[in-house]
Amino acid sequence: MSKAMLIDLNRCIGCRACQAVCKCSNDLPAQATRNTGSYQNPPRLSACTHTIVSFDEREEAGRMTWVFTKRQCMHCEHPACASACTVGALQKTAEGPVVYDAKKCFGCRYCQYACPFQVPGFQWGATLGLIGKCDMCADRQALGLEPACAKTCPTGAISFGDRSSLLQEARRRIATSAGKYVNHIYGENEAGGTSVLYLSPVPFADLGFPTLGKEPISRYAEAVMNLTPVTAISVAALASGLYWIIKRRDEMMQQAVHIAAQEGMAAPPPPSTSIEQDEGQEEVQL
Amino acid sequence: MNLSTSTRPALARVPVFNSTVFILGLLTLFGLVVGGWRLLVGLGPTTALTDAYPWGIWIGFDFALIAFSGTAFTMATLVYVLRREQYREALRPAVLAGLLGYIAVLVLLVLDLGRWDRFWSFMINWNLHSPLFEVSWCIVLYSAVLMIETSPQLFERLGKESPVRLVYRFSVPLVIAGLTLSSLHQSTLGTLYLNMPHRLHALWYTPLLPLFFFISSVMAGLCMAILAYDVACRVTNRERKAHIPAGLARLAAWVTLVYVALKLGDLVVAGQLPMLLAWTAAARIMWLELGLLAIAPMLLFFSPALRARRGWQWAGALMILAGVLLNRFSATLFAQAAPDWTGYAPHWAEWVSTVGVLAATGLVWYLGIRRLSIFDSDAHSKYH
Repeated sequence: MSKAMLIDLNRCIGCRACQAVCKCSNDLPAQATRNTGSYQNPPRLSACTHTIVSFDEREEAGRMTWVFTKRQCMHCEHPACASACTVGALQKTAEGPVVYDAKKCFGCRYCQYACPFQVPGFQWGATLGLIGKCDMCADRQALGLEPACAKTCPTGAISFGDRSSLLQEARRRIATSAGKYVNHIYGENEAGGTSVLYLSPVPFADLGFPTLGKEPISRYAEAVMNLTPVTAISVAALASGLYWIIKRRDEMMQQAVHIAAQEGMAAPPPPSTSIEQDEGQEEVQL
Repeated sequence: MNLSTSTRPALARVPVFNSTVFILGLLTLFGLVVGGWRLLVGLGPTTALTDAYPWGIWIGFDFALIAFSGTAFTMATLVYVLRREQYREALRPAVLAGLLGYIAVLVLLVLDLGRWDRFWSFMINWNLHSPLFEVSWCIVLYSAVLMIETSPQLFERLGKESPVRLVYRFSVPLVIAGLTLSSLHQSTLGTLYLNMPHRLHALWYTPLLPLFFFISSVMAGLCMAILAYDVACRVTNRERKAHIPAGLARLAAWVTLVYVALKLGDLVVAGQLPMLLAWTAAARIMWLELGLLAIAPMLLFFSPALRARRGWQWAGALMILAGVLLNRFSATLFAQAAPDWTGYAPHWAEWVSTVGVLAATGLVWYLGIRRLSIFDSDAHSKYH
């Protein structure tokens, strides 16, 4: 059974204990920031900040309210970052987390483009930079512990467990508290499903969650990549065949010229010397 | 006909240093210093790259340079597989440019890597689903193929005949191997962007991207061959054979027609024509790419009168090359919907190192043209 986290934005009070414990548990350095006009700090995820709580200000019945959203890697069921990774440093494990092997990574940053959630961060300040992102505390999970953020959350906003039972729990919460939640479990189907699920009182698009279809991000690229051997064999075979046919044609033409000359007949025009007429056919095959 | 014996010895007496060599050498030197600085201190102080724009002009020029270097496989296929012997004279300038282009590509890629000291990681850590994994392998293997294809230029210069004979004996399988590797990685550079449906603008994003990248590399390849042949003739005081650039221009027109027709057809089928007709920033870039830098030079090259003229050959070829360059930059930067917190304006060090790599490529090619046996037809009759 693959593990997942259910994050209930109705229960989050924005205390950021998860953010602090993530730094401690993963031994991540502090990040110099400046005031951006919000309690949200730092402003976004980075190589050394693997989770943040974002503060979205909203107006409700004439009063200002906040929606707090704990953000981190979504641990996709079909992660595009892992599909794209040149050296296979990012992997989806059977247990749920998408893990990162810093020993393989050579810092090409393709994962940053493939991720629809802008999660992987790069160590721009380092002489030899690598990628950093949340790994759902795969090391703690291996010891039978829950992720540090879920363990620390004082309000129970982060539940950790089997993905299927968390989906059931999420449906139960939506059904039993009418009007408290929008009828949408973000991550159930997005980009083929994720191992982090969200419940929200407001539409997810309002909180900056990308609107994604049910198909994995990497479906087209993987389909094309799976064709690689077919493409290679087809091109090589087609080129060899073309070479043979054209060579044979040239030889037969030469023979015809030769025979014609021997028999004292009018020679046919020699092959492929008049440039203007004979290029028209080949360009499509190039 | 201009015999090699009459031009070569005269050339050998010409001193190597002139203003071209000096300027390119100076730019190379700047690039070396700044590139070395970047490798020593990391990407932070030397680039304007951020988590929102992790790839900048290095990658833009890199991917364009791969397309331009497609000139090597395009010309080799034309001469060896399709047996268009009339283009043989334009083969070596193009293949040499291709080899040097690929070496420049590798240098730019290493400059861009966070862990450049581990550039070989893809050789032992495999991910068969990764477009960039396939591209990396193909570039390295194809560079090796190009080195073998180019080696006769050096061996002939050194007066060694037996290795030249050996290479020529295997030239057809070698060229087919090069074509196969090229069709894989040229198209896979397009596949690379298929992993970014959430970032790449819909006018560019299509499952046909691999095909478009491949076809446009042939367009660029033919145009590079026109320019390389022209410059090589001029540098060596050799008389240009008028049918070569004109014939290549005609081929480029047909390939561009296929590209433009497929691109417009794809937009129509996807129902994105209104997006192209709306006067948005993205639509304007696409019009520039397709209208001014593909359709216009295509029409130019379809005209027998215009494509016979040297000035128009240069104009058309440069327009198509600019169009392919813009296309690769669009995919990498201009048509990328980055998160809105920041923009990207290249750091001066990115410019200086890029110009340095391009100048070094031009410099080595220029010296190669002047010092190596650069016209295959001179040696051809001897070995075939």
